[in-house]
Amino acid sequence: MKLRNILASTALAAGLAMGAVSSAHAWSLKEAAAPYAGTTVDVVFLLRPGYEAIEAMLPAFEEETGIKINIIKHPYENALGEQVRDFVAGGDLDIALIDLVWIGNFAENEWIVPIDKFTTNPDLADPNLDINDFFPLVLNAFGGWNGTVYGLPFDNYSGLLFYNRCMLEEAGFDGPPATWQDLKDVYGPALTKDGKYAYALQSKRNETQSADSFARVIWPFGGSFLDENFRSNLLSAESQAGLQFRQDLMQYMPDGIVAYDHAETVNAFAQGDVAMITEWSAFYSTVVSADTSKVADCVEIAPEPMGPAGRKPALGGFSLAVASQADEDEQAAAWLFIQWATSKANAAEYLERGGVPARQSAYADPALAETYKFIPALVESWQDGVPEFRPRFAEWPEITEIVQEWGTKMMLGEVTTEEGAQILGERMEAVLEEAGYYSGDKPLAQ
Amino acid sequence: MRDRVSRRTIFAFIGPSIIALALVGIAPLLYAGWTSLHFFNLTKLRRVKFIGLENYGTVLTDPVFWEAMGRTFFLLASALPIQVALGLGIALVLHRPGLTLLKTLTRLSLVLPMATTYAVVGLLGQVMFNQKFGVVNQLLGGADINWIGDSTNAFIMIIFWDVWQWTPFVALVLLAGLSMVPGEIEEAARLESKSWWVVLRYVQLPFLIPGLVAVLILRTADTLKLFDMVFTLTRGGPGSSTEFISLMIQRVGFRAFDQGLASAQAIILLIITIVLAQIYIRVFYKEV
Repeated sequence: MKLRNILASTALAAGLAMGAVSSAHAWSLKEAAAPYAGTTVDVVFLLRPGYEAIEAMLPAFEEETGIKINIIKHPYENALGEQVRDFVAGGDLDIALIDLVWIGNFAENEWIVPIDKFTTNPDLADPNLDINDFFPLVLNAFGGWNGTVYGLPFDNYSGLLFYNRCMLEEAGFDGPPATWQDLKDVYGPALTKDGKYAYALQSKRNETQSADSFARVIWPFGGSFLDENFRSNLLSAESQAGLQFRQDLMQYMPDGIVAYDHAETVNAFAQGDVAMITEWSAFYSTVVSADTSKVADCVEIAPEPMGPAGRKPALGGFSLAVASQADEDEQAAAWLFIQWATSKANAAEYLERGGVPARQSAYADPALAETYKFIPALVESWQDGVPEFRPRFAEWPEITEIVQEWGTKMMLGEVTTEEGAQILGERMEAVLEEAGYYSGDKPLAQ
Repeated sequence: MRDRVSRRTIFAFIGPSIIALALVGIAPLLYAGWTSLHFFNLTKLRRVKFIGLENYGTVLTDPVFWEAMGRTFFLLASALPIQVALGLGIALVLHRPGLTLLKTLTRLSLVLPMATTYAVVGLLGQVMFNQKFGVVNQLLGGADINWIGDSTNAFIMIIFWDVWQWTPFVALVLLAGLSMVPGEIEEAARLESKSWWVVLRYVQLPFLIPGLVAVLILRTADTLKLFDMVFTLTRGGPGSSTEFISLMIQRVGFRAFDQGLASAQAIILLIITIVLAQIYIRVFYKEV
């Protein structure tokens, strides 16, 4: 309901603005950017394919607008800290790069500007912005907070099952597992032999442990981090079933899986050492390129397996939002860049260069699925994902540290799943209590 | 003589150092003291408030803090004896007469590990200790040892790198101590006894004590602030097995953004370091 309200009000505002514009003059990026030519916009980018894709497209934008985009590159693990320090210190960043779990934090601190400031300005709003073209789940989860849209989805992921068709066929399977249970009980024993493993679940002690490992196993089994009262739900039978499943599944994973980050996991798959991984769509270009993958010809993509609670694929990704610390000219220039980078018009080229757009129209052509095998699974995953796959409130940076520590201890067998969930839940609730969720000072918003 | 040096001149020489020290050392320390008395989270700056010693209470009763501290001292207790034993051995070999050119080359090569940036050591470790492609497992006859993903092995790996990087420092300090032994006394001692141990214990060791105390203090301080190498190599994992005290403080301060709590942890760490240094000096200098 909330999502519908966001979309309706944003679309209405955009529509009104567009109507006013179209009656006055035809909008063009070049004319809109003319007052801001020479402005430099500072933005943090990650070292990932989607960012390289837009960077390659950037000269066209800079040439047309005269706006200079200054990209500061960071690995994911540093991106939040660098941005928080910049915003706290009133630094130079004009655009915030927001992982979906940072949106509550950035919005509550008023470090970012709602997009209606720009969509209602006919000089800045592209009549073809068409915000309804974004996948609703993605727009809401990546860019929306508490009924307001702040950012437009830019680097978009859904968890997918990457599988090595050749290894599966050799073991007698004609397709990927439909359920997590099958993956463990049927595919696991058959594919784990001769130094090869059936599956790898990236579980390094950083956000990977929380997002890619811990959350990935609790949701499909009907569990969750919190119940409706924001109390820990990790000791529920469903959450425990998911966490215990992960322990049981580890016998079919490479040794030292708790040290595997995305790079190690994708590399193990690309080297043919692992038959299946559940990874972000963003790594598609890596595993199908013969330059970076030995198994490029064998790669197939499917939606993540289903659990007893259905298919609850991992959801992750980034939006771009205008930073409130930027001055008016920088804000306008930043908006023009965000609008251009996420536009319908550029989605096809972004996809071609290795990015994953969140535009529904970009995937409308059925023939695309032949070139980009991940598209059908991706589109399916974005129909019914969980926006709160990881809680998106401002306290997530503290809570994820606790999840990372105790999630890893569970995997290492240093504590049982019950003991770990007990301690994790107590510490998580202490953070939420301190934040004022239980006293009623803060609404139970995600 | 004293009258000829004016106060202004004295201040002109010493003043810049004092100002620089105040700016880069004392001011941040005072600021850390201030934040440690407040609820001060970078992502909740609207809720900054004075909370007295609450952060200190949290730290002192937090088992995770003491586990990290215990882990740090276990690393020190494991690595330092090896460094002293190997360093002393190298120093004694280099102290023997002859092979001047080779010894000079050895002295120069001893500087290399110390000159290698900590973070680079960690990155080297990631490659060398890779379970599948790493040179370490190859040298062990193609062993399949999981170094980075196993708690015990990861700790051993950290000890290895610490020993590799800092044994040369111990060796050079002890070599300097050996060069302080008067030649005639050492020669006389060797004429009196054939036992190298007797010479070492009763003639050379007294000259090595000041160096050993310096090594003890510096290595303790270094271990307590060990961060870069471990951060790039294991990031404190797997689990918490290599989360030493500095990594924990960085995690609290810059990943959970709780600067107040992290400041309290850092100040408690500073106090522990000062107390330890005082104990070392009082206990060991008595024997000189």
